[in-house]
Amino acid sequence: MENFEASVGYGWYILTGAWATVQLTVFSCAVALVIAMVTGVAMTRNSHLLRLVARFYVEFFRGTSVFVQLFAAYFVLPLIGITLSPIQAGVLALGLNGGAYGSEVVRAAINAVGRDQREATIALNLTGWQALWWVILPQAVVLMLPSFGNLAIEIMKGTAVASLITVSELTFQAQTVRSQTGDTAIPFLLIMVTYLAMASLMMSFVRWLEKRFGRGITSEST
Amino acid sequence: MGLHVAPKTAEQSPIIEFRNVEKSFGAIKVLDQLCFSVKPGEHLALIGPSGSGKTTILRMLMTLESVTAGDVVVNGVSLNHEYKNAKEFPASEAHLRKMRSDFGMVFQHFNLFPHKTAIQNVTLAPVLTGLLSKAEAKKRGLELLEKVGLADKADEYPSRLSGGQKQRVAIARALALQPKILLLDEITSALDPELVEEVLNVITNLRNETDMTMLLVTHEMGFAKDFADRVLFFERGKIVEEGPPGEIFHSPLHERTKSFLRKVIAAGQRV
Ligand SMILES: Nc1ncnc2c1ncn2[C@@H]1O[C@H](COP(=O)(O)OP(=O)(O)OP(=O)(O)O)[C@@H](O)[C@H]1O
Ligand SMILES: [Mg+2]
Repeated sequence: MENFEASVGYGWYILTGAWATVQLTVFSCAVALVIAMVTGVAMTRNSHLLRLVARFYVEFFRGTSVFVQLFAAYFVLPLIGITLSPIQAGVLALGLNGGAYGSEVVRAAINAVGRDQREATIALNLTGWQALWWVILPQAVVLMLPSFGNLAIEIMKGTAVASLITVSELTFQAQTVRSQTGDTAIPFLLIMVTYLAMASLMMSFVRWLEKRFGRGITSEST
Repeated sequence: MGLHVAPKTAEQSPIIEFRNVEKSFGAIKVLDQLCFSVKPGEHLALIGPSGSGKTTILRMLMTLESVTAGDVVVNGVSLNHEYKNAKEFPASEAHLRKMRSDFGMVFQHFNLFPHKTAIQNVTLAPVLTGLLSKAEAKKRGLELLEKVGLADKADEYPSRLSGGQKQRVAIARALALQPKILLLDEITSALDPELVEEVLNVITNLRNETDMTMLLVTHEMGFAKDFADRVLFFERGKIVEEGPPGEIFHSPLHERTKSFLRKVIAAGQRV
């Protein structure tokens, strides 16, 4: 560390990557959430077709690595006329991939809401979708939240792969600094701290959501 | 649309008819060629040893269970089949929903919605099914909670209510859909003994003040005797004996009924 001034300058340069990381994380999580909900719900429905399609989706995206999906989104989609910016491609790949993992969380949580609750909705003459929306999902969401929190952090950590398609996010910026200064410790210490800060922010958000949605439920007993 | 499968007779036609109903779970036959009917406004108690099929009967009426063979007929309309162009089809979801609107059910374990307050538990279904507007449902819901003695608990979540209070909310919730037939399945057996009476009092009031048809499954013989116009004693999915409570409890004809009641009395119940 010959020059403190220069270090601060590089430090700042690295932190500019945080914005891209945040964008990738937020949008990927949003896409993943929607996909997880749709496919997770589909897997609990009676229709064989719905279940089959959802199951295929999940197996496909969990079975092929996020690297492959990222490269496909960035380099293959243009061949069929869809050109995405690096960030868009990153969001698409991370979102579709995260959604496939989240799908299982949604399915398991829905199934974990007891048969008692379902039977009560039938006795009250609700339709299947009304029951899902007003009775089953609000309870299932509380069960999903911890796993969703973990998944969101996985997605955030996964955003580093977007550096491979030139998104100037945290890891990418750190690599750049490292290759130009030869200094490894400081850049990586810095991004580690930044990732940690983001993760703990996300965990606090999830905990807040758990409180918000857990009213009446988290103290258990029907 | 349902077809009237029962010709209307001059005398009061039954509101519920079980016609040779059979129910099997795998190889186990739970209901066996079961036939009985219920008149509108009748208060029926179903008693019998554990596993005799009482719950299954109520669950069938609530469409939570289907028949293996035979037919359950409600107001002359089959619960299990519908007829289109004089052809018989298995009941569709639309048909079942229409049939369900006559029934309300109270469960042994309350089955309240834990994420909803007492009043929200009561108003959810009438609003969603389009029976009442939000404001009407709220008004009627508060009246119902008042009737079961819980006006002051309207905004509590179930987790903050005692078992007896939960069950009374569940009764109010079932009544909110204005059912013609109320199904009560051992509604006090999950309660601490000191909470049983408050729930039974609500049922007694309903019995005396409404013209609802009520089917009560219970192990409380004393209450069955006070409640029922007619008692059905079941064993292994068949009716062994039926009659007014005075006869069933004090001069039963069948040896099986006698031995069942002896056991109940030996267990400390008043009959
Ligand atoms: N879903 C099911 N799968 C398999 N067997 C079942 C199922 N539901 C009920 N049974 C069996 O059917 C029989 C009748 O059950 P049911 O619950 O109707 O009896 P019950 O008269 O209500 O008994 P209890 O007084 O113990 O409540 C029992 O032997 C029970 O084990
Ligand atoms: Mg039972």
